[in-house]
Amino acid sequence: MTEKVSVTIDGAIIRAPKGLSILDAALDHGICIPHLCRVPAISDLGACRLCIVEHIQNGRSKVTTSCTLVVKEGMVIHSNTEKIKRLRRNIAELLVAEAPNSRAVQDVAMRCGVKEVRYPFRNNNCILCGRCVRICTGRLGEKAIGFVGRGMDRRVVAPFDLKSKLCRECGWCSDLCPMTMTPCGGPMHKGQERLCTNCESKQTSLDQMTGYCVACYFGKGFQCERHPERFTGIEE
Amino acid sequence: MPQTTLDTILDGRRSQPHQLIEVLQDVQAQNGYISEEAMRAVSKELGVTLLEVYRVASFYKAFSLSPRGKNVITVCTGTACHVRGAKLLINQATAQIGVETGKMSADGLFTIENVNCLGACALGPVVTTNTDYHHHMSPGKMRKLIKSYQKNNKEEAANE
Repeated sequence: MTEKVSVTIDGAIIRAPKGLSILDAALDHGICIPHLCRVPAISDLGACRLCIVEHIQNGRSKVTTSCTLVVKEGMVIHSNTEKIKRLRRNIAELLVAEAPNSRAVQDVAMRCGVKEVRYPFRNNNCILCGRCVRICTGRLGEKAIGFVGRGMDRRVVAPFDLKSKLCRECGWCSDLCPMTMTPCGGPMHKGQERLCTNCESKQTSLDQMTGYCVACYFGKGFQCERHPERFTGIEE
Repeated sequence: MPQTTLDTILDGRRSQPHQLIEVLQDVQAQNGYISEEAMRAVSKELGVTLLEVYRVASFYKAFSLSPRGKNVITVCTGTACHVRGAKLLINQATAQIGVETGKMSADGLFTIENVNCLGACALGPVVTTNTDYHHHMSPGKMRKLIKSYQKNNKEEAANE
């Protein structure tokens, strides 16, 4: 049996097996920490920054991504303080501005309480969450696509923008891509981008149900395993 | 790239993935840029996936993926140099040579590049040509500098 450690997440004392990330431990116990780039059973990257939490250490709080934070005995984590909510809302806002044409991104932004987008829309087709790269290089052990370039030029491509010979056309990369589900109103063209608020009246935002997983339908776009039609594709 | 030069670079380094950056540096020094064929060959010989080679080569600014001219003119556009008129230098160079920044001129003689800081802000605007540093540059000095390189090239061509 695996060794277990006790961590305190939002005041709840949780016994979690060693080596688990804070995000996984929280989700397993029904505490919803919004997340986007995480995929069960593949390595975590901490790319989307949505799963940030406050980690209290020696009386000081440090904001860090919970998916890359491994549980340790006696850890104290706050996932829903005012500070975290403000930061997370801003991150979600930036994500919507970067890629408004994704239902996953729009939903997660709604859940984080984004009411308006103050940044210019870029309407990109990629938010560099690295899901496709990690499934390809990590889980499937192929190296067909990857991050190329640096800074503003960073992008996901196959070498020389050609189809790689290593690609087995398994399709996992597009299955996991949060951009494959367009917003309900159809794709937004340049100049028509907006924050989709269609689901606002139907769905609970994090403000109404702080910290609890309500098995929202938002998970559908980005395959949150708590989603009712849960994503069961990859299992250990 | 000729197979022989690549062979000498790769000698004693085959099947050693950790030698990737050194090999790419040598290829860069030899050719002035890293071609697609060179990357494919390096990937095959070192046992590194093509993706990894491409990723590393595209990540570092020291590696160029497109051919570069015989003389690389680097204009510093860091804050200090920018304030002192680096933009004018770039305009002068691009107009005189007739090529955009980052591209090779049609005669294969020049490439103009801009970098964000050369670390000699007190001497700005700074321009480097190959390995020479030129301080307190002005569009006039730039014009003379490019002229001198063009003249040298003509003389070399005449001597041969």
